[in-house]
Amino acid sequence: MEVFSLLADGFAVALTPQNMMLAVIGCVIGTMVGALPGLGPSNGVAILIPISFSFGLDATQSLVLMTSVYYGAMYGGRISSILLNIPGDEPALMTTLDGYPMAKQGRAAEALVLSGVASFVGATFATIGLMFLAPWLAQVAFLFGPAEYFALFLLAFCTLGGMASNNQRKAAIAACIGLGISMIGLDNSSGMPRLTGGSLHLMDGVDFLVAIVGLFAVAEVFIFIESHGKESAIGVKLGKVTIPFMMIVKSFGAMVRASVVGFIAGVLPGAGASLGSFLAYMTEKAISKDKDTFGTGNPRGVAAPEAGNNAAAGGALVPMLTLGVPGSGTTAVLLALLMTLNITPGPMLFKERPDLVWGLIATLFIANFVLLILNVPLVKIFVKLLSVPPWVLLPGVTMVSFVGIYSLSGSYFDLLLMIGFGVLGYFLRKIDVPTVPIILGILLGNHMEDKLRQAMVISGGDWTYLFSSPIAIGLWIAAIVGFVAPMFLSKFLKKPSAVSD
Amino acid sequence: MKLLNQACACVLLSAGLLSQATAAECIAPANPGGGWDFTCRSISKIMHDIGAVDKPIQVTNMAGGGGGLAYTHVVNERGTDEELIVAASSATATRLAQNAYAGMTADQVKFLGAIGADPGVLVVGKDSPFKSLTDLLDAVKADPTSVTFAGGSAAGGFDHLKVLMALGRVGFTDISKVKYIGVDGGADAITQTIGGFTQAMTGDISEVVGFLKSGDVRVLAVFADERIAGDDFSDIPTAKEQGVDVVAVNWRGLYVPNDISDEAYNKWSDALAQVAASDEWAEAMTANGLAPFTKVGADFAGYLDGVIAEIQTLSKELGVIK
Amino acid sequence: MPDPVGSKLFPIMIGVVGFICAVAIFLKPDEAPNWPKLGIVFSILCAVVTLVGYAYALKPLGFIIPTAVASGVVSYLIRRNLLTALLTGVGLSVGLFALFKYALGLGLVAFSKNLIG
Repeated sequence: MEVFSLLADGFAVALTPQNMMLAVIGCVIGTMVGALPGLGPSNGVAILIPISFSFGLDATQSLVLMTSVYYGAMYGGRISSILLNIPGDEPALMTTLDGYPMAKQGRAAEALVLSGVASFVGATFATIGLMFLAPWLAQVAFLFGPAEYFALFLLAFCTLGGMASNNQRKAAIAACIGLGISMIGLDNSSGMPRLTGGSLHLMDGVDFLVAIVGLFAVAEVFIFIESHGKESAIGVKLGKVTIPFMMIVKSFGAMVRASVVGFIAGVLPGAGASLGSFLAYMTEKAISKDKDTFGTGNPRGVAAPEAGNNAAAGGALVPMLTLGVPGSGTTAVLLALLMTLNITPGPMLFKERPDLVWGLIATLFIANFVLLILNVPLVKIFVKLLSVPPWVLLPGVTMVSFVGIYSLSGSYFDLLLMIGFGVLGYFLRKIDVPTVPIILGILLGNHMEDKLRQAMVISGGDWTYLFSSPIAIGLWIAAIVGFVAPMFLSKFLKKPSAVSD
Repeated sequence: MKLLNQACACVLLSAGLLSQATAAECIAPANPGGGWDFTCRSISKIMHDIGAVDKPIQVTNMAGGGGGLAYTHVVNERGTDEELIVAASSATATRLAQNAYAGMTADQVKFLGAIGADPGVLVVGKDSPFKSLTDLLDAVKADPTSVTFAGGSAAGGFDHLKVLMALGRVGFTDISKVKYIGVDGGADAITQTIGGFTQAMTGDISEVVGFLKSGDVRVLAVFADERIAGDDFSDIPTAKEQGVDVVAVNWRGLYVPNDISDEAYNKWSDALAQVAASDEWAEAMTANGLAPFTKVGADFAGYLDGVIAEIQTLSKELGVIK
Repeated sequence: MPDPVGSKLFPIMIGVVGFICAVAIFLKPDEAPNWPKLGIVFSILCAVVTLVGYAYALKPLGFIIPTAVASGVVSYLIRRNLLTALLTGVGLSVGLFALFKYALGLGLVAFSKNLIG
């Protein structure tokens, strides 16, 4: 088949000793950047762009380095999610839900190995999808207009109900808090500031990283002060690091399903990896027989979002390469890299620069294998983190967070905001309001509003336009079912225990 | 570890945690892929390649408010930063003229110069019923609700204005009825147009190159004095040829913070002039459908005052500002 | 420019949904949480004040001193032991500085120039 000969050419381009070395360096840096709270994959790729210049790397070499960092960061984000209940980057948010409970039960190593394998499955699936389907999948972006995107975002929020808390009202109010926060700053449609109270610091809006680090890391400090470090994963006997083959086999179906869901979300330029991992988690929970164990350390609740977010990361490359439309912050940075190398992604890229495209695809496969090989043995080192006593670990995490957030903007204002989020996070944890929907609201709020307003401009204020295509109607139905079903089902199902205890 | 050192130095550059600055920064006030991003990346790269600056320039994307976010950031927080350049274009001037940057004015930064212009275009999908600019404008005249334009700038921005200017020339003045959505960059606007959600895309020629080559879109008109040179572009008729006398080029240039020293200003304008004269820039312009347009330093400042005054008059005429 | 939604409607919609949820929670409240005792509230307040101070001190005083103080205080609040707090403060500030400066290559300022003179 033509695809395979092209891929073979790609490997011929990518598989030089020098490129392999760059791939290993990229994977290590990416994993570190992904694991540190406050630094995400976009930072990782962005900081490495100048390197490729100063070392005079050519187009292929730069791409090898960047994509390894990109995939590495997607792997790395899960580490702090599982061990510390602090997402290393925004797509790793969902992994906290079951990953941290697993760590608390002394199954941190299992969760890490499992999520590493899930990441591998998701990323490999996405790369294969990219390889065979990219030109065809590019068409999918043409099917999604403002109305369809709005319905998609609505679906995400409507399914929040059954997610993190046993209380749908609390999940909904958390989502509203997040959406409200996302409204702060310049209004995208008119360019005018809103809800900033005249503060120039709030003009840019609230960075979701500030919110994540505040709600998760800083709030954790307060929780520990209250419990004096007694209620924690730390001190739990660490199990031996063995590869949980049975668990991997049992979760394999979940990984594949999540990969499909994540990949589709990634292909849609307006959706992105966070939505991919979220939808993957919710799908898995919805079809699972043991719904109530989700949120309490169900291995499939770890496998699904990790496979989903890595598949979404690969999927996001489709619109980036074929349309020049970046599907996520990270692909935006990769797109920028291509542009600096004088490569303009677009519908002609596959025809005009096959060497580059297939070299990139080969690189993705290489990076993926390198990461799997690096990550599984490294689990032993990661879990050592848990043997650090809390009165050392938590101040340490806090200080790392401060430096990470400070590096974003260099303003003390973001740090104060982060502390504010910490206090808010503590209160919400006390009254059992889940914090994940807040982050989701901050991430998606602006897009959701923009799409609604664009849809209404197009239709001239006719609200029926929102349900005017089969895709939109399908998404609306799914959203309504997703919202209503937990209300009725909760009467028949056992109440799942709360995640934040 | 030198490798890592350099990388991280760039991250923390803006953090003020650094003991000394190691590289200059170019802010592109939009997401990657659009015109401002191209300006920053090409100029930064060429400046370094031809030795006009010693160290590679770090490019930062700061999207939001049609460039207003970056503008406020520069005015309020980076006023004396001598190692900072910011991509600007006609859109920057437009928004300043319309008082759309939260009351900020053009004299709050120093404009460095422009070294190329990107002619505006109106684009439709390949299956669109509109075969010429006149077809499209007539359809809007007949029923303004039948056509939605998509562009990469916010409502009232340069992409929006171009459409209104063209409509004004054919006698359509009820501009509040014209439907326009501002999306995240030119590529996104084209995607929405190919998908049939919007009927036409208004943008710059550099934003449509890839789609033009693939045959997914048809360019109805280019808003330039003359047709653009180059195989891909010479077939595109100008608006003037079609009886719509609109010339709307999007110049590509830079501004720097207001309170930097004269030496720093001169250093940057020299570097920019060197880029303008370089073969690399000539190549980059050809590849992206830019027409030569070089004005640097005081020359440019004078030109810009004129442009802003003109846009203000025009915007009042069009009713975009009161 | 027709913008039927405008910049107010969406935030208001969110507000309405949020209000409905709040009412629903109020009408059918969950069990009251275990609020911490006064002493613990005071400890948490101390932590907040320390972190706010840290945010302000980071730029003028450099990395090492504020980090040592802040991490020491936080450590003490978690485990009331002066010795471990002291060791944590000193160890973390020096250790993290070394990590950021030499392993990750961040250009942190160890001590403010004003302090050294």
